[in-house]
Amino acid sequence: MTTTRRDIFKFAGGSALGALLTPAPWRLITDTALWSENWPGIPRPARGEIRAKFTHCSLCPAGCAVRARCVGEQPVSLAGVRGGLCPFGVTGHQLPYHPARLRQGPVSEAMAAVADAIAKCGPGERVAVLDLRPGRTASWTARRAMAVLKNGWYIAPVQSPVAVDLTKARTVLSLSAPLLERWGTPANVFAVRDGFRLIQADPVESRTAALADLWLPIRPGSEEALALGLAGQLTSAETAAMTGLSEHQIESVGQTIGFGRLSLVIDRAMSPAVVALNVKLGGWGRTIVPRAEAPVPPEWKKAAPVTDLATVPDRSIRVLLIDESAPGEYLPWDAIEKKLAAGNPLVVVFAWSANGYGRYAKYVLPTPVYPEATDDIPPAIDSPAPCFRIAAPLLAAPAGVVTPSEFIASLAGLPPADALRERARAIHQGGRGTLVTYADAKSVPVKEVKPDDFWKALNAGGCWVGQALPPANFRAPVGQALPPANPSQGLVVLATPPAPSPASPLFTKLYQESDLLLAPNCIALHPQDAARCGVSAGNRATLETPNGKWSVRILTDSSVRPGVVLAARPEMASASGKVVRV
Amino acid sequence: MRGKIIFLAGLAAALGAGWAGFPYAIYTSRPQPVDFSHKVHADKAGAKCEDCHAFRDDGTFAGIPTLDKCAGCHAAAMGTTAAEENFIDQYVTPQREPPWASYARQPENVFFSHAAHVKLGNVKCESCHGALGASDKLPRYRQDRISGYSRLGMSMTDCIACHRQQARADSCLDCHK
Repeated sequence: MTTTRRDIFKFAGGSALGALLTPAPWRLITDTALWSENWPGIPRPARGEIRAKFTHCSLCPAGCAVRARCVGEQPVSLAGVRGGLCPFGVTGHQLPYHPARLRQGPVSEAMAAVADAIAKCGPGERVAVLDLRPGRTASWTARRAMAVLKNGWYIAPVQSPVAVDLTKARTVLSLSAPLLERWGTPANVFAVRDGFRLIQADPVESRTAALADLWLPIRPGSEEALALGLAGQLTSAETAAMTGLSEHQIESVGQTIGFGRLSLVIDRAMSPAVVALNVKLGGWGRTIVPRAEAPVPPEWKKAAPVTDLATVPDRSIRVLLIDESAPGEYLPWDAIEKKLAAGNPLVVVFAWSANGYGRYAKYVLPTPVYPEATDDIPPAIDSPAPCFRIAAPLLAAPAGVVTPSEFIASLAGLPPADALRERARAIHQGGRGTLVTYADAKSVPVKEVKPDDFWKALNAGGCWVGQALPPANFRAPVGQALPPANPSQGLVVLATPPAPSPASPLFTKLYQESDLLLAPNCIALHPQDAARCGVSAGNRATLETPNGKWSVRILTDSSVRPGVVLAARPEMASASGKVVRV
Repeated sequence: MRGKIIFLAGLAAALGAGWAGFPYAIYTSRPQPVDFSHKVHADKAGAKCEDCHAFRDDGTFAGIPTLDKCAGCHAAAMGTTAAEENFIDQYVTPQREPPWASYARQPENVFFSHAAHVKLGNVKCESCHGALGASDKLPRYRQDRISGYSRLGMSMTDCIACHRQQARADSCLDCHK
């Protein structure tokens, strides 16, 4: 008997039918599904002991206290200790896994290049450190290093010399300051919000304006005019003409914040004009106080002074080291670039992402990122007393990163030392203030704490709070002249949140919302402004601001306030802009 | 007629392989590292389940006890059996954790709380783990070659059946957080 091909097919057919009547194929489907759950790349929940760790968020100068829920050594959720955290703070533990995170960089090569460039500096050429968040212990290290170099400069954004005490204020007049959004420490601001009446003078109905007790829709750029009017340097009629408010509104606000009524006037950076107005209103030593800093070791006082970028001569910086590891106030690159020496200046950026100043640098060196970085956070603008808070790391930093202060210190030949610990020792030796620990919610005078325990408590998320100076010791800037009224006659360019990255249309919510956001190459303005500038919807135009020029497409929207331009790119934001049709 | 016979032969071969051969071929089998008797520990030592399979202070379940727990009683040999001698020599003396194979290991995407079931729901250990606590010998660990899970483990079907029987919540997010 021979086996034919037909027999084989019949046997296979019978086998196939029989297999379907067994558990094998169905079991294989289940097993394959379970097997696919263990493929590489599929996230796995951390396992281990569940603990709470305390630290401070260093993502912004507010430095909110954070309670981290950790499984093993892995933080899995963050929450505020005294009040809430902002959305960035709540998700901060994801930052080390950001796709744009830098993990490796040419550290040795950059060190050699910087040392070589310093040695070749010509007469009048400088080595400078640009620190985006001054006042940190790392900032002091950079200042000390620049003092060692004979041609070193320490450059930082101008900081307000005063802090505000919202707990003492009964009325707060905000001149376009985002008080309820990101100005000051969010939890502290909201904790005392019921204690004061908030008047928001703002060209647009911002979130703060929407939540204020009174919104004054002033003309864009007329904040200083309002301050001058309230200080009595302009008449009500003049102020009304410049701000767009009625004389009655201005007089009413003037009566509300009158002298000695525990009123506080704020703007974004507590400018000298606003400080002078507060002094005039009797707020000195009450609602505004000098900004205090935590003590430093006496030998640090020989550090280089803080230099304002505007005072640096053009074409004078041969080597520029930019510490972008702690986010702070960014300075426009145009303003920095014109200070660089002609002919191949060396720019080194310390950052966790190459998307900032790294775009203009020869070397971008990766740094630890929150919550890997060990850093301290200077007192926020709403902190009347000095304080010392450490952002204790919750995660170990990857091997390839570099700490900017250590790099700069080694460049200047400073002996290696734990600067944070030295400063903590100096604070402890001062014997003033209290140590606040969040784990047990206790506040203990520093005198009663041993030095080692003090250091351990700070690293476990504790906070040292000093004592504010008594009012008699204040040197008030009385007599400081308010600047002349010069509200912007151009268009105020406001940056809206950027459009999200392109997402699948399946994410319909994101997709639809993205249509509501401006594209990076578009600006929106009121039809009247568009007509005044000679452009209409769909036109190509050039947006000109002190920060630069951009080719943009025009959108007109009657909901945009006259005098305002909405743009998606943050670098376009400016107090004065111009739209020119191409 | 011959064609039908061949077809039926194929059918019978597949049925035989699928029902008799496949359930064995799909698993690998290995013994547990220690010849452990729950029965001996329960009868002679008077131990209860929770004496070794304890809850931590924070309420989480510790699972299989670590060597420290075993060595609390077995610092030295407590008998002359070969299993006892092997346990002391291989694990207690060199301070090496026995590589126990867990019958009840669940996928990473399953959230199961012993505390909720045992303390709040008063579910008996045997309801899920069978008569393992009264057995004299640990069964061989049979691991699915494809999925990697134990043959004796609890499946989602078992969980759902019990939840429905007890009129408890059985939606996806109750277990898959």
